[in-house]
Amino acid sequence: MSDKPASPGRIERWLIPALILGFCAAAFYVSTTFKKMPPILKRGIQPSDFPQLLLVAIMVMTLVMVWVDPIRIRDRLQGTVWGTLVLFGLFAALTAIDLFLALSVFALALTVFWGERRPAILALVGFVVPVVIFFLFDQVFEIRFPRGLLTNLWYG
Amino acid sequence: MEGVLSGLAALGDPTLLLLLVIATLGGVVIGALPGLNATTGAALLLPFTLTMEPIPAIAILTAIYCSATFAGAITAILINTPGTAASATTCLDGYPLAQRGEAGRALGMAVVASTFGGIFSVICLMLAAPLLARAAYNFSPPEYFALTLFGLSMLASIGDGSPLKNLIAGGFGIFFALVGVDNLTTVERFTFGSYELYDGISFVPVMIGVFGISELLVQASNLHVKREAVRMKAIRLPSRDDYRKTWRAILRSSGIGTFIGILPAEGATVASMIGYNEAKRWSRTPEKFGKGAIEGVAGSEAANNSATGGAMVPTLALGIPGSATAAVILAGLMVHGLRPGPTMFTEQAEFAYAIFWSMMLVNLLFFVIGLSGAKAFAHVARIPVQVLWPCVFVFSIVGAYALDQSMFDVWVALISGVIGFFMRRYGFSVVPLAIGLILGGMLEQRLGQSMVMLDEQWWLMFTRPLTLFFFILTALALFGPGLWRVARRQRHPLTSSGE
Repeated sequence: MSDKPASPGRIERWLIPALILGFCAAAFYVSTTFKKMPPILKRGIQPSDFPQLLLVAIMVMTLVMVWVDPIRIRDRLQGTVWGTLVLFGLFAALTAIDLFLALSVFALALTVFWGERRPAILALVGFVVPVVIFFLFDQVFEIRFPRGLLTNLWYG
Repeated sequence: MEGVLSGLAALGDPTLLLLLVIATLGGVVIGALPGLNATTGAALLLPFTLTMEPIPAIAILTAIYCSATFAGAITAILINTPGTAASATTCLDGYPLAQRGEAGRALGMAVVASTFGGIFSVICLMLAAPLLARAAYNFSPPEYFALTLFGLSMLASIGDGSPLKNLIAGGFGIFFALVGVDNLTTVERFTFGSYELYDGISFVPVMIGVFGISELLVQASNLHVKREAVRMKAIRLPSRDDYRKTWRAILRSSGIGTFIGILPAEGATVASMIGYNEAKRWSRTPEKFGKGAIEGVAGSEAANNSATGGAMVPTLALGIPGSATAAVILAGLMVHGLRPGPTMFTEQAEFAYAIFWSMMLVNLLFFVIGLSGAKAFAHVARIPVQVLWPCVFVFSIVGAYALDQSMFDVWVALISGVIGFFMRRYGFSVVPLAIGLILGGMLEQRLGQSMVMLDEQWWLMFTRPLTLFFFILTALALFGPGLWRVARRQRHPLTSSGE
């Protein structure tokens, strides 16, 4: 039995095409449920015709890709990427409380996670930048942000 | 002629001039920042332009395009990291020159070559775009369908992915453009009863996601990369000897860049590679290339900047983007209710020429800014990614929200960013996805119109000479490179050792 770790990309070579084919097959099935228009109203093609043509083309190209140009990756996904993706999840969860609170916490957490420790920089990224952007959009572009814990303090 | 003059008169507005100066400065900063480029910058700034009038809005985006394309050379020369992909070939000779203590000379040549290439291409744009538009004025739906298909087939060679993967990505872009109510029949497609999907997937948040947020994840995997900066005393204009050595390369690369830019979907990156290679091929001292040849810097920079004007030709005249950044500008035109195409030069001539003149002005502005501020912009390139990218994220999310003041667009941007990152990781370029999303609806609409016109006899499309011509070009774009490789292999078969 070999102790060598599996080379990166062995699973992806098959997994990615399988995902694409699965997605296309599901979308093709959904397209078969589209309403059919009577000949006088269909304006040249039925609503399902073009999506089906396209999905078949994508599936054929994917099958060709598996043999001609398979998925190749050189390295494993780094921990910092996974951590950043987790922070995306944290951001999404915090938006339920307040969009700007979520942005502020995300920016601060990402800066710390990526290795920055200087308090002034952390304050700049986690507080000053989100506040400046909020007021720029609110006052200059007159964009109204969704109400939340912090934005309510401003909107009243 | 009236349109040319009224377009020039539109630039007399002091507010517009101020905005152009700010946008040029901003573009140079964006181009100099690691990971950010003209496409990302334009996508991030697109929501800011929504409340503006069309001329300043699109002029800002084109200013970002021109100046960020130039600014990639600053980091390419000083820290051996191209600010944009189009400046990758500038590193080859720019950085060795900088290591020899000639960073100022290399940057001076980059500024001069970029300015010349940019102005050359804008003049070509002013001449070629109306002519192309006039030629396309009598196109009927089958010709437009075939032309759009040709434009999409050129996606095979765009970006950093392989041709087949690019086409798959472009196919998905077209697919996502079909989500929502079908314009021809008003039938709901792939909406799953969601009110937000009823109007389809907006391309602005998708662009913010695939160009901005996906790059954040790319940066997350490159945190360990250290950049060595070269000191620069002062930037200076090239000497008479430099001009004597490089004028042919600058002129040749400007022509190459403009031509490559005009081809649908081919942008500054391809132009700079060909421009650099041709500069080397025609040089009297090709052996010096890669070791600090000033002609290398000139050839690469003249080509990538001239591609900007070239790329705007099909974008404005035909509604088919000439590059990834032109696709964002096309999205901006559509968001502002403008319809690029042949009628732009008759019905919106003032707008079209105002954009041309503003591009001309921006090329002159970055000449001044580049010469006077390159040293300062080199410092910008040293902003730590830990500081830059969290700020870009905040900017991206707020920009995505601002478009329709909808949290749905925020989720679209976030999900597009994650999908875009994994696409790039697995060799699929995100540029075809964005272009497919913009052109997808148009492609289906023109196919439908063609079918009505031809009484549902699709094969009649092949009996129309121009349509057939575009179909042949499409086939050549798709299968030509593969057939060429097979033909070459048969002519020069590999030996048993694989040589």
